[in-house]
Amino acid sequence: MTIAIPTRPGRSAVSDVVRRLPEYLTIWVPLLLSAAHLIAFSLWTIWISFTPSTLVPVSGWVGLRNYSSVAASRNWQIALDNLLLFGIAFVLLSLATGLILAILLDQRIRGENLLRSIFLYPLAVSFVVTGTVWSWLLNPGLGVQKLVRDLGWTSFRFDWLIDRDMAIWTIVIAAIWQSSGFAMALFLAGLRSVDADLIKAAQIDGAGPIRMYRRVILPTLWPITITVIVIQLQFAISTFDLVRALTNGGPGIATQLPALVVYDLMFQRSLLGRGAAAAVLMLLILLAVLLPYAGWRYVQRRRAIHA
Amino acid sequence: MPITTTRRQLLAGSAAALALPAFARAQGAIKPRLTAISQWSAGSDGAAITALGKKFEEKGGVWQHSPVPGFTTEMMNKLRAQIMAGDPPACSQLKGPEIAAWSKIAPTVDLDAVVAAAGYEKVIAPDLAKLHKPRGKWIALPLQIYSTNMLFLSKRAMDKAKADKIPVTWADFNDLAEKMKAGGVPYPIANGGTRPDDGQKFEAALAGISPTAYRAALMNLDKKALEGPETKAAFVQVRKIADWMDPNVGAQHFSTNLKRFVDGDMGMMIMGGWAQGVLRNAGFKFEDFIIAPGPSDNSKPVFLLNADAFIFWQRKEPDLQAGQKLMAQLVMDPAIQTMYSQITGSIPVRTDVDLSGEGWSDGQRRTAAALKEAIASNQAVLSLAHNMAQENGMTAAIIDVITEYVKNKTIKPEQAVTRLAEAVEGAR
Repeated sequence: MTIAIPTRPGRSAVSDVVRRLPEYLTIWVPLLLSAAHLIAFSLWTIWISFTPSTLVPVSGWVGLRNYSSVAASRNWQIALDNLLLFGIAFVLLSLATGLILAILLDQRIRGENLLRSIFLYPLAVSFVVTGTVWSWLLNPGLGVQKLVRDLGWTSFRFDWLIDRDMAIWTIVIAAIWQSSGFAMALFLAGLRSVDADLIKAAQIDGAGPIRMYRRVILPTLWPITITVIVIQLQFAISTFDLVRALTNGGPGIATQLPALVVYDLMFQRSLLGRGAAAAVLMLLILLAVLLPYAGWRYVQRRRAIHA
Repeated sequence: MPITTTRRQLLAGSAAALALPAFARAQGAIKPRLTAISQWSAGSDGAAITALGKKFEEKGGVWQHSPVPGFTTEMMNKLRAQIMAGDPPACSQLKGPEIAAWSKIAPTVDLDAVVAAAGYEKVIAPDLAKLHKPRGKWIALPLQIYSTNMLFLSKRAMDKAKADKIPVTWADFNDLAEKMKAGGVPYPIANGGTRPDDGQKFEAALAGISPTAYRAALMNLDKKALEGPETKAAFVQVRKIADWMDPNVGAQHFSTNLKRFVDGDMGMMIMGGWAQGVLRNAGFKFEDFIIAPGPSDNSKPVFLLNADAFIFWQRKEPDLQAGQKLMAQLVMDPAIQTMYSQITGSIPVRTDVDLSGEGWSDGQRRTAAALKEAIASNQAVLSLAHNMAQENGMTAAIIDVITEYVKNKTIKPEQAVTRLAEAVEGAR
């Protein structure tokens, strides 16, 4: 936002700049520094991904060899499959949970502030904590399964954590617990900003509550929905600490995700070149999500200006 | 008492403070100082290195140890960062083939003179010596030895199985596991779910079946041995072990289940000798468990060597150089090795240390005897799971196959053998 400051006669442009120097410094210096960091290290990583670096970065050129060996590795293939499943399931389910929570909270209920805090609270917890807590809760010998069995239902089974086909869903569960509150907060803000006249008009026309949500309120929420999807997707793609604490990629290598593969290659196997290649591939996946979003935002803004 | 300080007093004081170190230096010898990093921060490991630091200080040195808790790789990340910044520690933990690999990226200290003065080379295993002098010169010193394939038996589980014989071969081992299962031990094998844990089961199986095949397959990466019948037999044995483990451990550390092991809910544990230190540190007694060498089909002990070591990085500062020399002397000292191993449960690197005295456990005595015997019969091999046989990248590629095999019971041993050979090829 720019604030137009009327320049009085007798004040030069220079003194104006000097007066506003603190503003410039506080905004531009950190911005430029972080941008330089981001760009410089991205370029550095891209460069490393084409070199034969192992323990430490070295110069040299190996072309796409790092990329082809990462793409051919079992770890990376499993990670991509998992990312697809995790990304879709997590985004859709957290969207649904967030929306339902928001609609329920929107019923002018008592104690809304308290409930809202409770649902938002997981967001304040670090992913490592979430992962560790859920790893105990979901452990069949200690957590939910044992509790239900101890209560009397002895054939109860809930051993997804150690089932290599279902283990990825434990990450979905923990991630939804952590971040559906965030979706809820955004949706709730959206619900509250729906024009009251619109709702009144629908009421006068005799719309029931379900019809009102379906036809009047929810359609106004779709820009928020897209924002939530994009934010959750970029979270899904870069998920690291949650998996590391919850399953550490296991059982075996069944819950590998791209970020885990990058870390593993770079820091556990000391293959910097391959790790950098995997990191660049991750960046490309992120761009595949973010670029269409940026394009969509651009079109929206143009439309708003021309309307 | 009110403190009143004039500006002049303050100036005089700070001038004196500034002059003091120079004065001390002028007084005579340099005070040895050592900057060191290791992963040993807590438990028996932390206690041992703290005790070593105390000895260093007793000799007049300044001990500056910064532990990096977690797996060895985390310590390595710190080391890498320090080397790249041109500020390596005077001394750091590092072991196995990584010593050779890392010594290529930064200059190390030539320890030949100090090693020769101590006559150290004569009293340690030749295979071990080789790892610490990658290009013919000593640049690192081993500190303590563990065998990664020690067999821990729970006394209470043995009672349940009405067994008192320590298994020698894998067949004995399997018999005992069946007996335990029949005797009401729910899980005859105690274990954790981490990658090195799974790797250890496999290396113990292969080395126990044939140390020759182990050397060819996992140390020399010979394709024929990797796909050979012994490797397949090892996978078959690992599947048996996996079936006896508690599937619920998930990704837990082995130490999480030690209480169940001592209580007799779990029977046997194939683990490195360090588990003794962990058990003792957790308050369990020597009467609770038996330690013996891991199963070996030819009945002669097989020793899977894992040795912690210190590598010394070149520094220009005279006090650090003096510190490095003092540290090297301490690490080679039989008294220090005795102190260290008695805390951690390892055995000394020196083969001339007498373990009959107080402070050593039967397990440690058995381990030391096994090492001597294994060296004599050429059955001392380097551990894969603990990064002694291969560099980290290769190790990780092999363990990928093993850990998947342990967790996924639909993979057949034949498939595992093929995958193993492919993984090795891919990581070369």
